[in-house]
Amino acid sequence: MRRSLPVAELARDGRFEQASIMDRLTDPRAAVNVRKASAGTRRPALRAGQPGAPDAARSLMHGIFTGEIQALEGAGRTCWDFELGTGERQVPFALKLDMARQCWDEARHVEISVKLGEWMGTEIGEFAESTILYEAACNDDPILRLTGVNRALEGLAIDIFNTMREFGQATGDPVLEFCEDWMLADEVTHVKMGSDWLRRLTAHDPDRRDRALEFQKVVDKLFSYGGIRGDDDDSPVRLARRFRELAGFDTAEIDEIADLSRQAGRERAERVAARGRPPAVRSADVHPIGADLHSERMAR
Amino acid sequence: MADPTAPRAPFAPWDRRELPGAFTVEESARRVGNYKWIEMKTFEVLGGWVATVPELDIKLRLGTHTYHHAWHAELWHKRLPELREMNPERLTAPANDELVAFVEAVTEPEAPGLTIEKLVGVYRVLIPHKIAAYTFHLNNTSTITDAPTIRSLRFALADEFEDWRDGEMSIQSLLRTPQEVQRAAEHQARLETLMLAAGGIAGPGSIGNSYVEDTTVVDRMGGGNGATP
Repeated sequence: MRRSLPVAELARDGRFEQASIMDRLTDPRAAVNVRKASAGTRRPALRAGQPGAPDAARSLMHGIFTGEIQALEGAGRTCWDFELGTGERQVPFALKLDMARQCWDEARHVEISVKLGEWMGTEIGEFAESTILYEAACNDDPILRLTGVNRALEGLAIDIFNTMREFGQATGDPVLEFCEDWMLADEVTHVKMGSDWLRRLTAHDPDRRDRALEFQKVVDKLFSYGGIRGDDDDSPVRLARRFRELAGFDTAEIDEIADLSRQAGRERAERVAARGRPPAVRSADVHPIGADLHSERMAR
Repeated sequence: MADPTAPRAPFAPWDRRELPGAFTVEESARRVGNYKWIEMKTFEVLGGWVATVPELDIKLRLGTHTYHHAWHAELWHKRLPELREMNPERLTAPANDELVAFVEAVTEPEAPGLTIEKLVGVYRVLIPHKIAAYTFHLNNTSTITDAPTIRSLRFALADEFEDWRDGEMSIQSLLRTPQEVQRAAEHQARLETLMLAAGGIAGPGSIGNSYVEDTTVVDRMGGGNGATP
């Protein structure tokens, strides 16, 4: 088996339909709907009693389900793709053990997401899958993988699970609240793994640490969904500050993510204003990671 | 109430553990180093395969099993310094080149249509050989002096049996035509042949020697296991 598996070769059964992240986000049923946000009609999509909230919650849960599959696959590939050692393309034994542990956790999260999806009336494949999480997990530098996936994307998972947990509380759904709370506990552990390894592996290599943090910013901004994940009261997905602190983020780092989100929102609004209407967004509009994925799909 | 000062035997009447064991400290350490190496190879390939397997239930099982074998590797890693090997990496090694060839063949399948070969390699060949070697070690080492190894062997064996059952049931669920049965059997035979050359996950003598006159098996244990002449 090769080291490093391209995103185009992720193995799926016939129910899965893959689409660009922007196709996912412009699905009118989505919790995080970029077209609405672009048109200035953004409202918290996950508010109890709001029209469309059940569909939004189901869409978000399906996105969590496919995201957990990719998180499992990414952690698994990190077990396989790197030799043991101290070089930039090598990893310590203990890091592999952490990734193996994460495989187990993510496998459970897939199981939980499937059961929760059934509970919410969703079938596997009802919504499209964006594979951008796995793409972030394909970086050749293991520490960039960990910052991109464990700190940025698993950090986003903290925000989403907290949002879903609160939605479960607000709608009187104890099953949803219970499951999200358990997954939230695991995600804090995964983000902390990323924070700890970032510190340990770059303790004597500030350049590498800067590259890793820059990559994290890129992923964080991309996954702000044009400013929809943020720190403001009306953000559909709110930054879960307390849980991020538990996971090793300091206040300045969380503030920076909030700023990135606002910046992404402003840029999006400017693009909309310049075009005079909500644009036909593509993943390539958002970031090079999205562009790479988009061109790869076009090639396929 | 019994007199609390009355002398009692240090071993309870039901405790039949004995001092003698078949393995020296060095031999136990060598085997443990081989175990750590093979457990690492197992969890690495299971993790790598997750993304290549389209069957959702099997993808999730592989993810779960990845951790089991990583934990075993960690157990053996921690045991090595207790067996006087202060540099655990030195003994973290394959038993021989033939075992390396076996592992290369096990980890070869990648395509999404090769789930049968992936599972057969691990669950019909590799894990049964691990169960065999661990059981031999468990039943031959000193139940008193090597008790920490025994404890780890028991934890590992509990996982290996569970994982073997999961894997075997997954294989059975995938075999739906005579041609697929044949595919599985041929792959198994190929890998068993390679494992035969390796002599087991700890090399020749992984499960002792059952033949009274057979001197082909290297006896590293000083003839203490009762199975060698």
